[in-house]
Amino acid sequence: MESKDRVWKCCKCDRELVAKKIVFEYLGHSVSHEVPACPKCGKVYISQELAEGRMSEVEQQLEDK
Amino acid sequence: MKLEDSTKYTSRCFRGEPAPCSYACPFHMDIRSFLEKAGKGRWMAAYKTLRNATVFPAIVAALCDQPCRGCCQRTVLGDEAIAVRDVESAVLRNTKDRKPDSYVIPPKTQRVAVVGAGVAGLSAALNLAQKKYPVTVFEKQEGWGGSLRSHPRFAEFDADIALQFSAVETEFRFGTEVESLDELAEFDVVYVATGAGGEDFGLLESWDRGLLATSDRKVFMGGALTGVTLMEGIAQGIEVSKTIEVFLQTGRAGLTHGAFKNDVCDRSFRHEGAVSVPLVVASGPDGYTADEAKEEAARCLLCDCDTCIATCEMLKRFRKDPQKIGLEVYTDMNVNPPFSVRALTREAYSCNICGYCKSVCPVDVDIGSALQLSRAARMSAGIHPAALHDFWLREMDFATSEGAFASAPKGRQTCEYAFYPGCQLGASNPEHVLRSYEFLSAQYDAGVLLGCCGAPAYWAGDEARMQANLDEIKKSWDDLGRPTLVFACATCMSLFGRFLPEIPRVSLYELLAASEDIAPVSPFTEATVFDPCAARDEHGMEAGVRTLAAKAGVALEELSEPNHCCGYGGHMRIANPDLYDEITQHRAEASEKPYIVYCANCKEVFSLRDKENVHVLDMVFGLDAGGRVPSLFQKRENSLMVKRELMKEIQDVEFRPEEHPWDALTVLINDDLQRELDSKLISAADLKEAIWLAESSGDKLCDEGDGTFMCSMVKPVITYWVNYRETAPQTYEILSAYYHRMRFESGE
Repeated sequence: MESKDRVWKCCKCDRELVAKKIVFEYLGHSVSHEVPACPKCGKVYISQELAEGRMSEVEQQLEDK
Repeated sequence: MKLEDSTKYTSRCFRGEPAPCSYACPFHMDIRSFLEKAGKGRWMAAYKTLRNATVFPAIVAALCDQPCRGCCQRTVLGDEAIAVRDVESAVLRNTKDRKPDSYVIPPKTQRVAVVGAGVAGLSAALNLAQKKYPVTVFEKQEGWGGSLRSHPRFAEFDADIALQFSAVETEFRFGTEVESLDELAEFDVVYVATGAGGEDFGLLESWDRGLLATSDRKVFMGGALTGVTLMEGIAQGIEVSKTIEVFLQTGRAGLTHGAFKNDVCDRSFRHEGAVSVPLVVASGPDGYTADEAKEEAARCLLCDCDTCIATCEMLKRFRKDPQKIGLEVYTDMNVNPPFSVRALTREAYSCNICGYCKSVCPVDVDIGSALQLSRAARMSAGIHPAALHDFWLREMDFATSEGAFASAPKGRQTCEYAFYPGCQLGASNPEHVLRSYEFLSAQYDAGVLLGCCGAPAYWAGDEARMQANLDEIKKSWDDLGRPTLVFACATCMSLFGRFLPEIPRVSLYELLAASEDIAPVSPFTEATVFDPCAARDEHGMEAGVRTLAAKAGVALEELSEPNHCCGYGGHMRIANPDLYDEITQHRAEASEKPYIVYCANCKEVFSLRDKENVHVLDMVFGLDAGGRVPSLFQKRENSLMVKRELMKEIQDVEFRPEEHPWDALTVLINDDLQRELDSKLISAADLKEAIWLAESSGDKLCDEGDGTFMCSMVKPVITYWVNYRETAPQTYEILSAYYHRMRFESGE
């Protein structure tokens, strides 16, 4: 797992990512969550911690519904 | 799907049915539950079970001749049957408050007459009085008890009867002999229980043993008058009270009980692992002390069938009865959110579909097929969690397209035999396929058929893809002149047997075992053959491997639970990684001896668990049994190499695999990360593609602190993320990689 204080920049826009509310969709269900994203092009960053932690839990819950 | 489509697999299950002792019990008491409670010292709970079943617990505890003991499964182990009556007596002594319960039920108006105050009549009277019927008991003697009045312990019985009647209102007319039923014209129903040789009012001949009814529709009859024992008489009182209630409500007598259709239970209960425990002997003349009673009750084996649950990690983890699983396969297809949700998803996709539960079940309950049906139904309805099987379906696509190859031997159009190695054998070790084909082509008129049997589609429930693949295989087989297929993989062999029964099959190991040219060598002197689950019915394959092991001089020790899936079956590891770990660990520990395996998947599972093993083909061809498990990327490379070698050898054609722009990239992955990525089913091919996309488009993130990049690649089902650093032109060190299944709506 990476440290939380890493600063990611969008290479295309040369802008630091900022927190942005993003809508996630899985198996017909939608949930929203705040994740880092490029303020210009909207490119999103999902950390390993989020993907393999909370997201994985929610994915399993939605699969079980 | 109809309900019976799913329940047909599980409806024979008798888990939860009464134990054999209950079938023998005149009261059909749940003796298992009674003993379980008594064994824990839950005296009140045990007493209530006893009281509710037997009406007069003190009389029954003193006088029952215990037919239950004749069926006690303790005797199967050579022990004495549980001393049920002695435990009952101890329960009575230890239950502090035995006051009967009183229920708030509206009083009834129809009147009941009971002729005879022996225990049979009293049992009927008490049960009807509890239902709030006005009951009048006629007895010619000056008190209740009938034949028990002269018993030396009558004082105890008298107290029990008084106690049980203390919560109901019943009119007793002692010293009143009924000489004619005309005297009872004011009553709506009459129960005659006048004892052995007692007055039957001319109705005994017309007595119906089942309904306890007589030719006089309002007169019922039971007890010793009808020739039954004292205990049966009490039990009849319970049954007739139900029949009489139906009669009073509907005007017709009808049977109400349905739980015990058979008089005897002939179910087989297995008690493997149960140890012999001798009967507890009371230390004093007054019967068991509380501790002795608990100890004796705890000898109960709590007979119930749990054979499948006890032997399957998945069933054990979810603790769901097979009948419930069968039902939920159906109900899961008919949910109505938010009022109802699916209940079976994780189980359905956590099953190895290995058939072990069916093989150990005494009545062939087939939970695997029920769960397979669930997967297929959900796939065809488009409500399946695609990510759980996406990786293997993509592997199947590869094996049936780029990895596929069919050819008769050099210079021939058709052949008598064709080697079907399956997709995993060559992926795991190309030599296994190449050397086997070398042997086959030297000894037989043998071609080759590279492809995939369709197991990934089958396990994903994708019947359409499965059928399309079968059709392709069938066509290739026809083109090769309908040869006998030679199988190295048990899964392929069993699936062909099931879905393409017209194709003649033989296992490679049988042919190797029959050859005098083959002299296998083994790194072990003692070993255990780990038969794959799919070989359960492929006895020739199992025997062939054992012959080869014997030729190598290996002393074999058989597993106690053969053909138990290594964990790979059903492709369940993404659906339930923890369970997968548990299963693979258990299988690796099933024997202390090293394993001889003949399934590439079993081999991989055990090698990754550092369980000493050898593939039988390593023994046959004298290959190095060690070596690391190839990475996902290497497996594909191996498969292509097998195809390249065989095409060159048989057809003298240079095979050129499909080229991708990212093939030129080199990715550097350290051993720990490689192992992690393989366990997550992330292939280096996906990493290369993701990096190539990012580098060629510039669509990536960078961390200026450490100079690394992060990119993502969205595939139809899965989104990959890769953190990497460029170490040389077109060379990238992978720092981490992961994926998620959710899609996000912006930025993609």
